[in-house]
Amino acid sequence: MIKDITIGQYFPGNSLVHKLDPRAKLVLTFVYILLIFLCKNFVSLGILVAYLLVSVLLSRISVRMILKSLKPIVILVCITSVLQIFYNSDGTVLWELGKFKLTTGGVFMALFTTVRIIALVTASALLTYTTSPTLLTDAIERLFSPLKRVHINVHSIAMMMTIALRFIPTLIDEVDKIMSAQKARGADLDTGGIVQRGKALIPVFVPLFVSAFTRAYDLAFAMECRCYRGGEGRTRLRVMRLRARDYIVFLVTAVCVAGIAVANRLLPAVI
Amino acid sequence: MPILETQNLTYVYGEGTPFRIEALKNVNISIEKGELVGVIGHTGSGKSTLMQHLNGLLKPTSGKVLLGGEDIHASKEATRAARFRVGLCFQYPEYQLFESTVYKDIAFGPRNMGLNETEIRERVQRAAEFLEIRSDWMDKSPFDLSGGEKRRVAIAGVMAMQPEILILDEPTAGLDPRGRDRITDMICKYGLSTGSTVLVVSHSMDDVASFASRILVMDHGQNVLGGTVDEVFRQVDKLVSMGLDVPQLTKIFLRLQASGVSVRTDIYTLAQAKRELLRLFFEKGGTA
Ligand SMILES: Nc1ncnc2c1ncn2[C@@H]1O[C@H](COP(=O)(O)OP(=O)(O)OP(=O)(O)O)[C@@H](O)[C@H]1O
Ligand SMILES: [Mg+2]
Repeated sequence: MIKDITIGQYFPGNSLVHKLDPRAKLVLTFVYILLIFLCKNFVSLGILVAYLLVSVLLSRISVRMILKSLKPIVILVCITSVLQIFYNSDGTVLWELGKFKLTTGGVFMALFTTVRIIALVTASALLTYTTSPTLLTDAIERLFSPLKRVHINVHSIAMMMTIALRFIPTLIDEVDKIMSAQKARGADLDTGGIVQRGKALIPVFVPLFVSAFTRAYDLAFAMECRCYRGGEGRTRLRVMRLRARDYIVFLVTAVCVAGIAVANRLLPAVI
Repeated sequence: MPILETQNLTYVYGEGTPFRIEALKNVNISIEKGELVGVIGHTGSGKSTLMQHLNGLLKPTSGKVLLGGEDIHASKEATRAARFRVGLCFQYPEYQLFESTVYKDIAFGPRNMGLNETEIRERVQRAAEFLEIRSDWMDKSPFDLSGGEKRRVAIAGVMAMQPEILILDEPTAGLDPRGRDRITDMICKYGLSTGSTVLVVSHSMDDVASFASRILVMDHGQNVLGGTVDEVFRQVDKLVSMGLDVPQLTKIFLRLQASGVSVRTDIYTLAQAKRELLRLFFEKGGTA
């Protein structure tokens, strides 16, 4: 069902990963993703995987939830692996069928890509699982605040993101409710061809848009009633401050980066 | 044989996530044909969840829902048939309106049943009559009606399917007292004149007392009490401990008794109250 979407969901907790400064987490995730693209061999990839495993363990997010976040990419992973296996013809030949050759190079390549994709998705999932959307957009606003100099209204953009994120679960709930209500009136939402299904969605989308717009107006009124006038001169309820644990994590990350750099330089590259 | 029955019905929301909630635990209810059943229970006690099982929208985590003795999840066809035999009108149903005119919206359900135009027209008319929907509304956009009017149109949309069992989840929530009484009356009239079985979820003990032939009480996902109006509302302490109450009138008579007046306390409706007060009046030597 529509409720099974876990990407972007937040699971409150009290672990080290939850408590890290959201700005730090955001930057670290970004660095991590960059490293995934930069690593060239199994040793550097190994370091990255180990780093991720430790983070997942520390976060106390159940493995099941992590696996759930990987569900949508299963097909992508399968397709890329198959392509990698058959389009790469380096190394010794393991198996041959006419034009197709299965080589060690291909297998390594497929394995490498698969691990990279999984690490990428897991890292981003871990960020959203352990950081509340409000903190995340707060962090984005802070990190991008220098852009104010070039007249980009960072605050408004961050506020819009916060509101959008805040309303995703509400709208999902709403879709669920409206779908049930229309099903109760005999609407057939699950069968038929594309055109038929598209048509069947009208009874769901019309009420959804009506209520989304009503909500938007209500929220705007409510914000204005509380004297919201944009970011100018606003102070914060929660002041973000880097703590010892953030610096320790930075240090550990720096060591990993150094290790990856050394491994990339000294060992032969897979790609 | 009961027309609708649940056997050890259990339902869990969010199984396998940190947000797991056991919304129904071993619920066994059985409903006879033609009954007017009131369902009460505190907020979050699982009333809405239970109602959504009765027409097959939710599939039990364990246990069964039997409609006319047959499991409604026995096959896909059975489930779809159950949707039409058991009409469910959700909490705040006005949010399900979507068509360009009131007529088309009420006709949505009957049309999905595959009826022909004359049959559809007839059913829409009949449902509109029960809910006192004026004929000049029929060509209006449902979005131009007031909240209470929308509510009536939405209920008519389910009634027009002429289900054997009609379930209404808090049909009077958020209406003014007059609107509440009117909708309750309309539902009563519908139940009595068509002989359909009707289940109404309500937070108003007065409403329930006025129409129900039987009451089911939900508490923390369990069906803890069930019986006639008298059998249920007699258990004042139990109800209060569950965050529920007895009808206002009953409270007055309980107070009277507590202050030494010898009155009956099984008084739940205005008619009963009137009779009892008159009896008291004449007993004390008053004249008409
Ligand atoms: N879609 C859902 N996802 C997860 N949990 C839910 C969902 N719907 C209901 N619940 C939970 O299930 C429990 C029962 O909810 P339900 O809506 O059945 O209560 P209710 O008796 O109808 O309450 P109310 O009187 O407020 O309408 C509640 O604890 C609620 O938090
Ligand atoms: Mg409810």
